[in-house]
Amino acid sequence: MDGMAASALAIALVGLGFWTLLRRRNVIWKLLGLNVAAGGAILFLVAIAHRPQARPPILGLGPGQSADPLPHALVLTAIVIHFATLALSLVYVIFLTERRHSQDVHKLEEER
Amino acid sequence: MKWASGMAILALVLLVAAGTWSLFPRPDVPPWEEETAAWGAKNAVAAIVLGARLWDTLFEVLVYAMAMVGVRLALRPLRRTEPQAPLPETPLLRRAADVLLGPIVVFAIYLAASGHLGPGGGFPAGALLGSGLLLLALAKGADRLGGELHEPILERGEYGAIVALLAAGLGVLFLGWVGGGLFVGLNLLIALEVAIGAWVVLHHFASSRGEV
Repeated sequence: MDGMAASALAIALVGLGFWTLLRRRNVIWKLLGLNVAAGGAILFLVAIAHRPQARPPILGLGPGQSADPLPHALVLTAIVIHFATLALSLVYVIFLTERRHSQDVHKLEEER
Repeated sequence: MKWASGMAILALVLLVAAGTWSLFPRPDVPPWEEETAAWGAKNAVAAIVLGARLWDTLFEVLVYAMAMVGVRLALRPLRRTEPQAPLPETPLLRRAADVLLGPIVVFAIYLAASGHLGPGGGFPAGALLGSGLLLLALAKGADRLGGELHEPILERGEYGAIVALLAAGLGVLFLGWVGGGLFVGLNLLIALEVAIGAWVVLHHFASSRGEV
């Protein structure tokens, strides 16, 4: 895929994720929306690193232009931190469900 | 009011798209070959992650470990005490786990140890080891596997890996350690840390609510 097409797809994915984050009332759906938006951000970084007919940024793989190694290093950070924070927020969703027996933000925000 | 969030999202998307438009065509990559060779690596991503941005990576591992501590502490009050009926296990899954576990572990160690020479590194190797543990948990049941893997030893391994990583970072800072051997050690420690963290998430989620 071309870099520009991939970044357009990435921006669309982030928009879709934010839409889910704002419009859904269920907390788990909100986390899924954040997940999709994070996937869009990762795809955007990979699209930024893309060069036409590039080789991987590893020494000794022949001549020619290579892909940009710096966004790849950022992607590594993004994936790991995203996994950790998603696991932690799912734990708090479990906690909320245990205490308040609801995952609907409107019900969770009501005073008891 | 219902369409306000839609308009906000659309405006955000259009703004980001307009900002991205000027990024293309992408400029040429600056030469990275000599810099990568000076760090003692062949993989430029490994040279960035473990060389030029080493402290960023170390504190990223620290953030990961803190998130796993949060998972462990928050789910402790919700731990189920009554034993759960074991899942009916199929012989197919048992045999597949027996056959596949060895190659998975060997390949993960290979990925971690050769991460500075080719595709790989500590984080994918740790994820691979964690998915191997998931396969084993599916075959044997998470509770039984959790009984066999002693949790205090795993905790000590996790914290020991963090301490060793930070000590290696201090060694790089003050003693000027550099080279491929350092990268192998760091990658192996990161793989250990990520694998134990993945197992913590898997085990605590499975033993607090629901099944694997």
